[in-house]
Amino acid sequence: MKILKFIVSKIFLRKAILGIGIILLLLMANYITFTAARSILSTFQGYQETKYVNQEGVYIANLDPDSHIDMGMIGENGTQTVYDYMNSSFKYAFYTDGFIVSVPNGDDMEISLGYMNEQYYRLNGFELSQGTDLYFDYQLDREIPVLIGKGLSKTYPVGATIEMEESVLGRPLTLKVQGVLKQNAYHSNYYALNSKTYYNFSILFPVNEEFIDRASMDIQFNGLMDIILLDTSEEEIASLSEVIKDNLGLRFNFFSQKENYDYFSEYYFHSLKIIFITTFILLIVITCLSVWNALVSVRLMLKDFTINLLVGLSYSKLKRIFYGYFGMLSFVNVALISIFTAFNRYGCWLRKDATFVTYGLFGLIGMDWLALLLVVVSDIAIGIIVVESMLWKIKKVPISLGVLQ
Amino acid sequence: MKKSLFRLPDMFELSIAYIFCFSLNLLLDYAKTLDLDAFILKAFLKNFIDYQPLIVSLFTFIVIVFHYQMLEKKKAEIFCRILVGGTVSKITIRYMLDCITVLISAYLLSAFVNFHFGFNLANNFYLVLIFVIYILISARRVRKYENP
Repeated sequence: MKILKFIVSKIFLRKAILGIGIILLLLMANYITFTAARSILSTFQGYQETKYVNQEGVYIANLDPDSHIDMGMIGENGTQTVYDYMNSSFKYAFYTDGFIVSVPNGDDMEISLGYMNEQYYRLNGFELSQGTDLYFDYQLDREIPVLIGKGLSKTYPVGATIEMEESVLGRPLTLKVQGVLKQNAYHSNYYALNSKTYYNFSILFPVNEEFIDRASMDIQFNGLMDIILLDTSEEEIASLSEVIKDNLGLRFNFFSQKENYDYFSEYYFHSLKIIFITTFILLIVITCLSVWNALVSVRLMLKDFTINLLVGLSYSKLKRIFYGYFGMLSFVNVALISIFTAFNRYGCWLRKDATFVTYGLFGLIGMDWLALLLVVVSDIAIGIIVVESMLWKIKKVPISLGVLQ
Repeated sequence: MKKSLFRLPDMFELSIAYIFCFSLNLLLDYAKTLDLDAFILKAFLKNFIDYQPLIVSLFTFIVIVFHYQMLEKKKAEIFCRILVGGTVSKITIRYMLDCITVLISAYLLSAFVNFHFGFNLANNFYLVLIFVIYILISARRVRKYENP
């Protein structure tokens, strides 16, 4: 430890520019690794979450990009007819979110509302930290059981009631907290699996047929956009497509299990491959620059190193000192990346961005910690290359010649 | 070249450092123009495009490292040149001219690529200003090696 302190303060810090150079290069390498790792992990999480769509007989509705929406043609009767047809002929998972309301809470956040039916609830398997499972056979004129995010649980513990002045039913509602979702429970977008919204400040409504019947057209129409049809066939889907076209004038695509599989595999595999290759190339370039920086350091500090070797410092001890020095620089960088990420996450709290606020140790969530772990692994790999190059360079020069320099 | 502090490998190293910084800036400019369908790629690139000036500026530090090590390496040569009749001002001017020649060559190369891709030629210009500042600061260090 004493010798490490001596070498760092008397040799490395005397030429601090070279140390700063290494820190900046490592910072870039860490930022690239961290960003790529988070993109890949986030996509993987999304893929795991939406795996249920890759099953035989599952079709997801999707508005055809070429289909023009004529709001004049879309009326409550039209959407109701479509839902009536689906209720009689299909088993479907209904989910829609993004409805923002003001509900008093300790953190003064706007609350995001999500609506789901029983099929969707069962498919997703929401994990609760408190309370019990939702039930869907409630009476609309009584308290409606809901799930809430962790952020709301301080103000509304299990069993508490939430009064909502406005609702999609067009009248005040009384909600009863049935359960609290696990912290950082999230929902991934079907078409951008790395994009997530967090439920920490959300209220999830159980939706039954009666609820949909009485709800405003907005929720009925939005719900149709991503409706998931279960245990069905292409013929049945084709007839539903016709019903939607006749009543709403819209053309919907329904992706089958195979199409979904091809889409996700090709689209995401291709994107992740590009991210992986880009990251790998950038890391190689940065490693080369780091090695150049390290060799420059050796060239300028050779006299100091060789004098120390002459007076008894062994190569193995020097190697340990180099690893210790590199470890310190890596630690500084990992700390910087953590602070930057925590600050970004904290920004969501400051902006009161209810769908992105998260909880975690030092402000970082599980995915961030995993990405940081990968950053440490990449630092170890770069460290080995850089330190071994430095030692190779030092060993190449005879001690006597080094001292004379 | 005979009286210059630069040798061919030094010229090469400095060119590579400049070209690397210009290329990085160009690459990020190019990434901005990509019309990607994949949201995941867009989100990934956004992490770099949003911080482009900061990222490129941090990478210019390799040019500082080059100037620093170059002059540290040449301190004996500078002293010897002064000993045999060279003056600090002439050595400094020659050093600056050599650096600026390499810089202009690298900039022209990057400007040509910018022009080829239809990017704004001024996009890389802020880097030239940064590098000129580095050259001026490093040139002041030549005087430091007047005495051994």
